[in-house]
Amino acid sequence: MFNLSNLVQKAQQFIEPALPLAVPASNDQRPSKAALFRHQFRLPDSQSPLQEITAELTLSPHHSTRSSSSESTTGEKERGQGNHYVGKLHLSEQYLCFSTQGSSFLHSASLTSSSSFTGQTHGAGPAGNGFTLPLCAIRRVERLHSQSYMFALAITTWNGTPDSKAKKTAPSGQKLTIQLAGSRQQCERFCDALKRGLREGIKDVENLRAVVAECYSEYLLIDDKDEAAKEREHPDTGLGMIFRYPGNARKLRDATKIRLWKEYLRENGRSVTLVRQPTFHKLIRVGLPNRLRGEIWELTSGSFFLRLEKPSLYTETLAKFSGRNSLAIDEIEKDLNRSLPEYPGFQSEEGIGRLRRVLTAYSWTNESVGYCQAMNIVVAALLIYMSESQAFFLLSILCDRLLPGYYATTMYGTLLDQRVFESLVEKTMPILWDHLVKSDVQLSVVSLPWFLSLYINSMPLIFAFRVLDVFFLEGPKVLFQIGLAILRINGEELLDATDDGTFISVLKSYFSRLDESAHPRSDNPKLRAVTRFQELMVVAFKEFAGITQNTISEQRAKHKDAVLANIESFTKRTSIRNLGPESKRLSVDDLGFLYDKFYAVLYERQQRAEILEQEAERKAKAERTKASAIFAPSSGDNVQRGRVALGPSPTEMDYDAFREFLAGIAKWAITDSPSSPEQENSQPSHSYFGNSNRNRPSTSPWGSGPEPADHEFMRRLFRQWDVDMTDALSLQNVVTGFAQVKGTKDIMSNISYFFELYDDDGDGRVDREGILRISEALLFLSRRGVSQSGSPAASTTDVNSGDHAEKGNPDEQFLSSVSAFIRRCFEYADPDHPSHRGDHALDSATKDMDNFAIGEDDEDEDLISLSAPTSPAPTQNKDLQTSSEDHTPLSPHDSIKSAKAKAANLALDPNKPLYITLPTFRMVILADEVLEHFFEVGFSSSFRLASTSPPSHSSTASNLTTFSNAGKHAAGSTAGGLGGVVGGAGAGVVPPSKGLRGMLDNIVSDGMRVAAEVKRRMDEAQKEMDREARQGRDDEDEDDEPSPAKDADLLEGAETADVETAGKDRLPEADLLVLTGSGSAGGGRKRSASDASRKVLEFER
Amino acid sequence: MADSGAAAPKPSSSVKLVLLGEAAVGKSSLVMRFVNNDFQENKEPTIGAAFLTQKCNLPTRTIKFEIWDTAGQERFASLAPMYYRNAQAALVVYDITKPSSLTKAQHWVAELHRQASPGIVIALVGNKADLAAEAAAGDELGDDATEDTDAAPGAEGEEDADADNADQRRVATKTAKAYAEEEGLLFFETSAKTGKNVAEVFTAIANAIPEASLKGPRGAAGGQSSLGRQEDARVNLGSVRPEGAKEGCAC
Ligand SMILES: Nc1nc2c(ncn2[C@@H]2O[C@H](COP(=O)(O)OP(=O)(O)O)[C@@H](O)[C@H]2O)c(=O)[nH]1
Ligand SMILES: [Mg+2]
Repeated sequence: MFNLSNLVQKAQQFIEPALPLAVPASNDQRPSKAALFRHQFRLPDSQSPLQEITAELTLSPHHSTRSSSSESTTGEKERGQGNHYVGKLHLSEQYLCFSTQGSSFLHSASLTSSSSFTGQTHGAGPAGNGFTLPLCAIRRVERLHSQSYMFALAITTWNGTPDSKAKKTAPSGQKLTIQLAGSRQQCERFCDALKRGLREGIKDVENLRAVVAECYSEYLLIDDKDEAAKEREHPDTGLGMIFRYPGNARKLRDATKIRLWKEYLRENGRSVTLVRQPTFHKLIRVGLPNRLRGEIWELTSGSFFLRLEKPSLYTETLAKFSGRNSLAIDEIEKDLNRSLPEYPGFQSEEGIGRLRRVLTAYSWTNESVGYCQAMNIVVAALLIYMSESQAFFLLSILCDRLLPGYYATTMYGTLLDQRVFESLVEKTMPILWDHLVKSDVQLSVVSLPWFLSLYINSMPLIFAFRVLDVFFLEGPKVLFQIGLAILRINGEELLDATDDGTFISVLKSYFSRLDESAHPRSDNPKLRAVTRFQELMVVAFKEFAGITQNTISEQRAKHKDAVLANIESFTKRTSIRNLGPESKRLSVDDLGFLYDKFYAVLYERQQRAEILEQEAERKAKAERTKASAIFAPSSGDNVQRGRVALGPSPTEMDYDAFREFLAGIAKWAITDSPSSPEQENSQPSHSYFGNSNRNRPSTSPWGSGPEPADHEFMRRLFRQWDVDMTDALSLQNVVTGFAQVKGTKDIMSNISYFFELYDDDGDGRVDREGILRISEALLFLSRRGVSQSGSPAASTTDVNSGDHAEKGNPDEQFLSSVSAFIRRCFEYADPDHPSHRGDHALDSATKDMDNFAIGEDDEDEDLISLSAPTSPAPTQNKDLQTSSEDHTPLSPHDSIKSAKAKAANLALDPNKPLYITLPTFRMVILADEVLEHFFEVGFSSSFRLASTSPPSHSSTASNLTTFSNAGKHAAGSTAGGLGGVVGGAGAGVVPPSKGLRGMLDNIVSDGMRVAAEVKRRMDEAQKEMDREARQGRDDEDEDDEPSPAKDADLLEGAETADVETAGKDRLPEADLLVLTGSGSAGGGRKRSASDASRKVLEFER
Repeated sequence: MADSGAAAPKPSSSVKLVLLGEAAVGKSSLVMRFVNNDFQENKEPTIGAAFLTQKCNLPTRTIKFEIWDTAGQERFASLAPMYYRNAQAALVVYDITKPSSLTKAQHWVAELHRQASPGIVIALVGNKADLAAEAAAGDELGDDATEDTDAAPGAEGEEDADADNADQRRVATKTAKAYAEEEGLLFFETSAKTGKNVAEVFTAIANAIPEASLKGPRGAAGGQSSLGRQEDARVNLGSVRPEGAKEGCAC
């Protein structure tokens, strides 16, 4: 039961997937609590909330909160009590986190309480005051004997590089005291989990050491007296070390800032052990000092924790893909010279090289994003302050979390956030908005670059970096706040602008004067000293303080569908136009229909696969303590892949997807024998009935749609359409395929097309097996009736007035037509030349094997079957086959008396190869009006595209009875029940009460019917030949139709006596499929084919 | 250079123009040539689209082009609707040495016909004409030389260029022209490198804009022209070459 509800919840996420960080309006669309937890503490996707408890953090006396203005170290004694923070203590697999933003991620907590942190943060970012401690950075945890009967823990961290020397340099370490507020039981549970985590954490200390050693804070805090440590290399703090940092260090008061930070870090821990107090956030607000900037960005954005998880991923990735080429690399190369070209570092090979490597490495780790223009600018900016490896991880945090979808191949995130920004402008500055609308100025053409390149390209660098400082701490909402503030400040001037040009100029000139005084004419010197940039920050964070992450998430959720739909319709138009000249043969509506169907199938399949995968993952999770790959598609964030607008989705369908696709388009492609969910599906059986709710992607292997058949004809079609031999069909392939099938009204080309499907080697000949296969395919295609749409009245009369004068329903007519087809084919077939045959001996042997199933059980009379009179065991078939091939030349010819008899015998003798050519085939088709009609309209109209209504399940059901009708005289036929039930099955819903019987019948009949029918026709053909051989051919095929009674007998036999034999037949066939299909078919499909056969067997017993 | 004197008496109106086309066909170069009469490697990082303005003096009026030069990468195509929305003119550019770029251009034309403002004036521009042999007499030569690519502009150059200095044309003038006529587009072959036909394209567009669709000078307090020059100055890095200054458009 738990599984089920879990599944349902997930399924709902897929339909209305929430963007990362998005908290949409209604309850069932929210991101998971785990995702919220990770976002709050900026943790990698490997982490999930395990334990949480209300707690009070007490920082030991020497920790002090200091306002940024007080630079003195006086007064320490007065603060003997230390600082107290009440909040929540959380434990994940590898982290111990504390935050004053008291959100709950307990399983029992409501999502509202989990997501409350996305609201007002008062400048402290979502994580608030507190810490995010990797367990490996904790040296010791002691249980304190507390005064009250509360649980209290004293945590000692590795403050400083955790190595042997640390004992000397940091004798006391950093001590945090935490009082847990909860029942004894809760506290104990928490502590037990913590203990386990700490034990596990030991193995991560190696990583910690490597990563921390690269932190500037470590270098900064080296004890002045420690001479040995002094010699440590200065950590890589970006290109600024070599090429200077942008801006005037003195004007930026860099030295003062460094001093303040040094003090803060000394008291509050550095890098991983850092404790966030209000001063921390204030120090960020006033702008980070150059050399610390990279490290603090890493910490506040959480990219630090990614790096901690895989410290060498960057270098490994570069090494792994070294020398390889890609489209992304070409695109990167083009832009290297245009990335912050004004910064000296990027006029040198050193800077360009770093930029190239970081962008390239990222493009390999996230190939779906690859490289997007604007990333070059962002990464260039990062590289001024951080090492390549740091920039690499920060870039991935940006792409995956902070700027979701911005750089995707459809840039949906960019477009979405532009829409959100516009709606915020409309809300907060209605007058300006009206003006924009009136003057027909589109705001996003101006604001898009702000967001896409994080203001780096719009503002002078020093100011853009100040924005980034806050952005990494507080998240995406900062981009909106700054953007709104820019418009607010320039409102007056913008109201005068009435075209794009003026609008842009106003803002450009504003950006160029950000360093000037905001109030140059003020009498108050303090006010005069306020720069325009400071004003911008104040307006952004004070006046627009109401713009919270919540606001953004809500707006995103609100506009998402419209934006995605826009992109999708654009993509659709574009890709339909790209389909090339062949596609012109189909109507625009049809193309649109195919496009939708094609991607719908791919999308649904992907969603289903992902549900199953996640379910499996969830089950496996217990055993897994550590995520294996940080960049592996994460649950939660990636569940929405597949929707076209969201970026690269699968663009090719494999054979199974093709079957599903066809089943939605052609009635004949729907299976008659739906597999039972219990067997095909690893899900509990009751989930199957969830299918009745069409809003949910089903977890059955075929979703909510009808289960497709798997017929050799479909495979041939697939292979024929797969012109580039990739074993997968692109939309282009599918459209071209349909253009050939449906794009012509010319019967001749339809006939040729069909012929070519069966002319495997393209030599213009179809051999005996091919003929049988064609006839089998004709039966397959017609088993739910053939469309009479072309000229129904006329054709019916034609048929009735034809030489098959007997009255009968269209299906019977079709049967007899196919029968006549086979007969005629053999009649007019050419004997194959021995030399020609030699080339194909092996080939045809395999085909014969395939064919084996059809006629094998026909013991003594079957002239078609290649098998020896005795029914051989499957394993012997091959030998027999080959030996019969060998014996061909020795076949006795003398027994043939007349030429006609000889011809007839040749046609039926397996040892006498024969073939038909296209002209023969054409002639045979045209000789029969039913078939003629089939090739004229029936076949192509059996695919229903836009112009016709899609096959409805009810019509399927009623049509399906036709075969039973054909055999309606058969005793014990369950025709009526069969039809109804199968219809239900086709629709994916089998009423439990009626289902089993119907299913059984279907499986049996499906397994038997085609084989039986073909075999029967073979028999007839043979008998006729015999007759003809005896009598000569005086009269043209007249009385060859079997009486209905005989027909019924055969069918009856098939359904009763032959059941077991038929079951056995299927097995070798299935095995053969594996043999012959190995060249082209996917492994999964092979298995499913043989599984299906086995099921047949089981059902029959 | 300033044309403020000339602009004063004549009625002036702004025209929003968007450049579309495959990456590297020379859109930015064309704009650069038109606005600054310059040809140089583009160092300006463009995010989304670059915005530039340039005036075009016609005998009876002055047209101020507000040019959106859309950026390269394929994925930015989904942003294009933002830029061609309410554009009055479009330059759809292809590269005469690259047949696939004409196909792409045709897609853009179809997109504009379907989605852009109904009266939009579209010019199809085959750029890099300097790479065709005998650029001057190239039209006839080009037709003969590339007859076989006519049918399938999508097929990448079938016959290999025999030498690097030889004719690199892969799209016959005739082909593109026929298509342009069929679709009712203005058609030019240009070279941003030599300046050939560049000003002519813009002049032709300016002339083709129906009088009725001109809004008159947009923007209020006459500050436009100076702002326009500001734009220009920003991009123009001071290497204005006087060669090939065009009549028709005063700059
Ligand atoms: N020979 C030649 N090269 C050109 C011409 N126009 C542009 N190019 C070159 O083509 C490349 C791409 O030009 P660019 O303007 O950036 O194309 P965009 O991507 O369409 O903006 C650059 O290397 C230009 O120097 C031209 O008319 N002739
Ligand atoms: Mg460009």
